[in-house]
Amino acid sequence: MARPGRVLATIATLGALMAAPAARADMLNFDMSGKIYMKYMYQNDNTQGCLSLSNPFWIDNIGGHNGVCSEFELNIKANVGPKVTAGVRLQSRWGAMWQDWWENGDLKPGVTDTSGESLGMNHAEYIKLRAAWIRFGPPIPTVKWITVGSTDYSMWNEWTIGKARYIDRDNGNGVFIEGAFIPQNKLDYTIGAMALPKLWAGPGWNTGLKDNEPLAYLYGTDWAFATKLESRPYDDLRIRAIGTWAQDWEADRYSPFLTGSPDASRCDTSGSGCPDHSVKLATRFRGINATLEGFYTPSWTDLFSISALGAYSSNYVNPNYATNLVRNGQGFSPVVFKTDANGNPVASVGGAGRVDLEFYDPFKIGLSPKFEYFNISSEYNAIMGARREADVLLTDGIITGGFTRGGQLPTLNVANEFQDWDEPWYETVIGWTGFTTVLEQVLGTVKLSGEYTYVGYNTNMQNRDITNQYPTFLYTHGFTDTTAYTADSDYANVYDRGKDPRSVYDQFQDRHTHIGVLNAQIPISMAWSPLINIKGKYVFDRDNRDITNPKDDYIGRMWMGFIQLTVQPTNELKTFIGYEYSHWSEDGRNGSEAAGFWPARTQRHTARFGFTYAFGGVLCGYTLEYFHKNLLRDPDGGYYNMIWNVWRAKGTIELAW
Amino acid sequence: MKTPSFRRLLAAAAMLGAAVALPAAAENEKGFKFPDPIGDDKGPGTYTYPTDAVYKPGSFDITEFEVVPRGNETEFRVTVRTRIEDPWDSPAWGGNGFSVQMAFIHIDTDHKKGSGVQDGLPGTNVRFAEDEAWDRVVIISPQGATRVNSEIGLKAAQWKDRIIVPKVTRATGKTLIAVVDNDKLGGPPQTTWGYQVLMQSNEGFPDKHDLLTRKVNEFEGQHRFGGGSDFDNDPHVMDILVPPDGDATKKQYEILSKYNHNVKCGPGTEPCKPEDLAVVPMVYPHAAGK
Repeated sequence: MARPGRVLATIATLGALMAAPAARADMLNFDMSGKIYMKYMYQNDNTQGCLSLSNPFWIDNIGGHNGVCSEFELNIKANVGPKVTAGVRLQSRWGAMWQDWWENGDLKPGVTDTSGESLGMNHAEYIKLRAAWIRFGPPIPTVKWITVGSTDYSMWNEWTIGKARYIDRDNGNGVFIEGAFIPQNKLDYTIGAMALPKLWAGPGWNTGLKDNEPLAYLYGTDWAFATKLESRPYDDLRIRAIGTWAQDWEADRYSPFLTGSPDASRCDTSGSGCPDHSVKLATRFRGINATLEGFYTPSWTDLFSISALGAYSSNYVNPNYATNLVRNGQGFSPVVFKTDANGNPVASVGGAGRVDLEFYDPFKIGLSPKFEYFNISSEYNAIMGARREADVLLTDGIITGGFTRGGQLPTLNVANEFQDWDEPWYETVIGWTGFTTVLEQVLGTVKLSGEYTYVGYNTNMQNRDITNQYPTFLYTHGFTDTTAYTADSDYANVYDRGKDPRSVYDQFQDRHTHIGVLNAQIPISMAWSPLINIKGKYVFDRDNRDITNPKDDYIGRMWMGFIQLTVQPTNELKTFIGYEYSHWSEDGRNGSEAAGFWPARTQRHTARFGFTYAFGGVLCGYTLEYFHKNLLRDPDGGYYNMIWNVWRAKGTIELAW
Repeated sequence: MKTPSFRRLLAAAAMLGAAVALPAAAENEKGFKFPDPIGDDKGPGTYTYPTDAVYKPGSFDITEFEVVPRGNETEFRVTVRTRIEDPWDSPAWGGNGFSVQMAFIHIDTDHKKGSGVQDGLPGTNVRFAEDEAWDRVVIISPQGATRVNSEIGLKAAQWKDRIIVPKVTRATGKTLIAVVDNDKLGGPPQTTWGYQVLMQSNEGFPDKHDLLTRKVNEFEGQHRFGGGSDFDNDPHVMDILVPPDGDATKKQYEILSKYNHNVKCGPGTEPCKPEDLAVVPMVYPHAAGK
């Protein structure tokens, strides 16, 4: 019998000999990267969590203003062959605070969780497969690449199927084929079939869940299909056409197989077929979007470029399978429940157009004008369009402020949620028609810009049906502050409307808006490279509401002034301090046609201080904010005044390797 | 509507602008412009853009490079073929108002052998001739200055005194702009200086050895350039300046094609040797009559 020590040594030697080259070969094919992200949040209130604004509807205990949380991400990519690659992303679940110690979940009987049908392990920090994809280029005529698995939908556009927000970047899954019918970019194509996200892409922000459609619910058959054709007939011109079709099926609730026993004798009585172990499907929702875009950048001059877009949408909801949330959900619906004169459901159809003309310093004095015309019809809606982190119009819009950035999107499905107080907000542009003029002046190191925008509204209408067809999101008179919400039962802005103080649809609307913006970016030549940013903004927003009632007019005026100083004392450290003042004066803001309307005045002072520090790959950031806000309302209307004195802070540290 | 307030704001802004602008315009004459052909944003002629929609045609196609001395500062302007956009919302990550582009402006201040750096910055995979080695390089990156400095400290610390992160970096229209103090350049630009602009793409999640640069692979990916190799022997630049005379596009393709195609070097293999990499030239505008 061999001595155990010798056996072990032999095995170890053999193992080392065999393992070394094998491990190296394996590692060559494993491109791994990791990232740690930590976030600290503070606010002088009694909430706890690491997310300012979580799901606005149901219980979830991720959201809160006091806590520290950590997250880890591991990416593995492999080059399997010259034209075969693959990758996965493993990431820990966000939500557990450092104080949670050994807490590993929060599932309790009777608690509804916002994640649909998952267990709601919000504090478990489990590692989840967030992405898995395979990409290969088979020798098939015209085909360049086939991708199967996770995607961010970035191959389409904001008006059809939009790029998923960053935190959802790999949640989408599908099959995609990219190729060229004619080489040299003369005619490229992309086609895709994508699993329809069950938690937001449809009426009621789902594609049919058990709680909503107990007998019929079925989301495994729901897909979106899309095609893109892109051509550069010559270098100066690019044309792109995209068509998408989102199809939400449910089980036919009258299918004999679902309504009784699978007894063959029921064939005689059902009237709609046999219980033959098959189930027919019924459409719950069908969304069709298409765009045609042209981009002309002349090579014969550097002075200008022009682009244009035309868009079409059609959204059909079958009320037999989708709860009418306009009627039964206080107007909370990302789709219109359109009916014809007889009350039968029909598709809600809309169109949109946009033309952009931009000049590049045509007078050689640093002055670059931009013009945009836009016209989005009253029922254009991209249910799977970009929900945030995109911007389809040139204008600053209503929603942005000094500290608060934002954008405009062509969907009712805007997602101002799962975000912190320092992140951008987005507003819908459904119904907007008008133009924007921007003048940008570069004077040495100083950059100035001024904007004027006029917005009319294709949604202007008298006596619109907001009881059964058009969603108003509970309150038709919104709130003007994107960063101070949920103060009381008024639910300021937590329901995805953004800062726009008027809902897209109202029973009576006769509205127009003027927007004026001035920006200045002024570097100062001295130590620490100071940079001053100044912004002034004025919004005039008038809605005559019922044009036969002179006493119900809404007139909103907003003034905003912002100044920020940024300095960089060292290579690693950059700090800023800023102040923003905003004032909203709103006549006829609160009330109803029957009871009358009362004014409101809002004043807000905001100060922020912060810094970023980067060293050796470690990135740190910290922002401290104080704001004081007064909301003055008319007690005659039954309203009371409110006041805010809020301190809050957010700190982050991240490291990737 | 408080019109008077609005007018007052406009007037103040105009006056402020004019006050800053007038002296600047007078200094402009000392600068120069250097054109670059349209449609040569293919590296050695074979490179293709990543497939993601944010990489719009012409995004990396240099059409003009301009140096504008102004008092104690110098403004560098790199113009590309298409409007510069900010699809990744750079203010969210402390950035400079654009997302996709990144340019390295190399400057040879003495045109002498044995002086300066012949190696390209990490991730560019090019080098310079001995008598055209760079003495300063200005980085135009959408990343905030602290992030760029951090990456320099991590990946190019040996040259940190030669690498200049501008005090102002911004984009307007089709132009990337960097403002640099002359003392960091070693003085105001001289007519004898040489320049080379390497057009790259900002990669927020770069490879371990790359200075915020986007890789070129054999085949393009969603966020990878294609048409090169999967190793680091090929130049990872999409467009460069080339000396005048002759077909500039053809010349660029020739310059960037002259690397060792037979070696497999880079991450996971042996480091690339300088002689395996393409040599990019400096352009001396004075000699070129610009």
